[in-house]
Amino acid sequence: MSRTEGGDQESFEELFEDAPCGHLSSAIDGTILGVNRTFERWTGLDRTQLLAVRRFQDLLPRGRIYYETHYLPLLLMQNRLNGIALEIERADGSRLSALVNSVVDRDRRGAPHRIRTAVFDATDRSAYERELRSSRQREQETAERLQRSLLPGEIPAAPGLEVAVTYRPGVSGLQVGGDWYDAFWIEQPDIIALVVGDVVGHGLEAAATMGQLRSAVRALALLGLGPATLLQALDRFADRHDVGSMATLVYAELDLRSGSLRFACAGHPPPLILQPDGAARFLWEGRSLPLDTRLGTGTRAEATVQLERGSTVLLYTDGLIERRTSSLDEDLGRLLAAAASCGGQSPERVAGAIVRALHEPEQLDDVCVLVART
Amino acid sequence: MIPGTMTALRRNNVTVHGPADVRPMMFAHGFGCDQNMWRHVWPAFAEDHRIVLFDHVGAGGSDVTAFDPEHYRALDGYAEDVLAICHELDLDDLVFVGHSVSAMIGLLAAAAEPNRFGALVLVGPSPRYIDDEGYIGGFSHEDVEGLLESLERNYLGWSATMAPVIMGNQDRPSLGEELTNSFCRADPDIAAHFARVTFLSDNRADLARVRTPSLILQCSEDVIAPQPVGEYVHRQLIDSRLVLMQARGHCPNLSAPEETVAEIRSYLAG
Repeated sequence: MSRTEGGDQESFEELFEDAPCGHLSSAIDGTILGVNRTFERWTGLDRTQLLAVRRFQDLLPRGRIYYETHYLPLLLMQNRLNGIALEIERADGSRLSALVNSVVDRDRRGAPHRIRTAVFDATDRSAYERELRSSRQREQETAERLQRSLLPGEIPAAPGLEVAVTYRPGVSGLQVGGDWYDAFWIEQPDIIALVVGDVVGHGLEAAATMGQLRSAVRALALLGLGPATLLQALDRFADRHDVGSMATLVYAELDLRSGSLRFACAGHPPPLILQPDGAARFLWEGRSLPLDTRLGTGTRAEATVQLERGSTVLLYTDGLIERRTSSLDEDLGRLLAAAASCGGQSPERVAGAIVRALHEPEQLDDVCVLVART
Repeated sequence: MIPGTMTALRRNNVTVHGPADVRPMMFAHGFGCDQNMWRHVWPAFAEDHRIVLFDHVGAGGSDVTAFDPEHYRALDGYAEDVLAICHELDLDDLVFVGHSVSAMIGLLAAAAEPNRFGALVLVGPSPRYIDDEGYIGGFSHEDVEGLLESLERNYLGWSATMAPVIMGNQDRPSLGEELTNSFCRADPDIAAHFARVTFLSDNRADLARVRTPSLILQCSEDVIAPQPVGEYVHRQLIDSRLVLMQARGHCPNLSAPEETVAEIRSYLAG
């Protein structure tokens, strides 16, 4: 040791015993072989209560499993481990929030032999981390609640109608994307509106736009405009408020008494009908351009088809079918084949089976499928 | 294979060593770390076995995007992954070596497709970790809560800045260049899920379904799988041998690899 200016020489023993961190050495099975005075002071446990009597893991009442499944294996594999947060139980039952560093000492043959651990008091840091964690959790919950509010909560149910939805946002970490679905009564319990749409872009911004369009469609539908006029009004809404330009959607009103389906498709992939006999077909009528294209949409087209009882209507977004490597015709062909193999199944199963059959996991687009059976 | 679907070999980061035409031997890591847990053990068998190592989804170099809470809601989902690897590599007369929770996962796989399995080596098995009436598993619900808390406080090798490096690096670098703490790195949400599935599982009733010859390696002073639990497993498994090891603790594959190798060898030699 070098001499300090004050002239005092600090011994190794003092350096060890009164270091500003606790020192602990243990056998591989955890049996405590030595501690310093700092460790004794911080824990209120003295050597006679520790050495050869207790194991390090005995002092970690909340961390027993973690010690065995993470701390020790990782330490034995890496020979060292830094900054692990543990809680050490003091003599009085209170807990010391600690960060620990450990190293493995190996014998001449290379076998692990002893573990040396330095213990740092992390009381303030742990309290701060706790606050950060709980504020992060609150933020996450707020974000999730807000996101969920952009999509309908419960889908209406009625005798003679089953609706199922599969919805997968393309951006991981988000609950919603630019795709949306909706189902609500125009005239309960006879006429229900079914909607699936897709705004340009991904992520939160697209989701915010989607939420506005969904509300606008709901509001306009209440006026009883019918599909084509509703789309015209939605065009004006999009133009006036500069929201949702180039979005696509299909809007349909299903009359449960008569079985008629009145619909309009604004630049959106065609609805698919699965008949009770298993035959599947697309509805290519009632088509017009996407919303507010600034190309002059003019009048909007709509069409009405008559559905046999027990028919299934499938509305979806392009994220379900589109692949980089194939044409739209091929994409639609795959969907038709997948749907045709689902004859007679419940909407829930149809939605699940079709997404499984068509969706590629690497695909980053949002996917939305709404299946309704009369 | 359906185009675009993930194969088990990629999903579970499967690595294969040794000759192809000999008896296959699969090593499965437990909750916490990854296939590196076996690094001191498998080389001893590589000369006369086809060695298969893998990471459970969520651990090590597995594809975390393949994680589906529904598929992995119970240990059976993990057992299905083991079977999927068996199918893809066409493994027969397999020696399955499972540590900790993977011992139970191997038992479930062997119960589902007994013809694939020649022998099971169960290192520290436990069919249920939580105490129950007339059964001592060694843990309480509070212990599991403590584990979840520890996981939340220790993002080993998985801070936000680290994750992209890991995600973009599915082919793992050689051991020397490993990122610190990467052996136990895991997506925090998946790790918490796996922790719950592991430590809240109760597979006692499944033990009687297994007919495969099994070696139970019981360490002394193993708090995760205490000796009475090993004895319980031994009683319930029709064709099992229980060996009490000198090794102490829960990870003889790391703390006592020689003894672990010797016990497995002697069992397989008959």
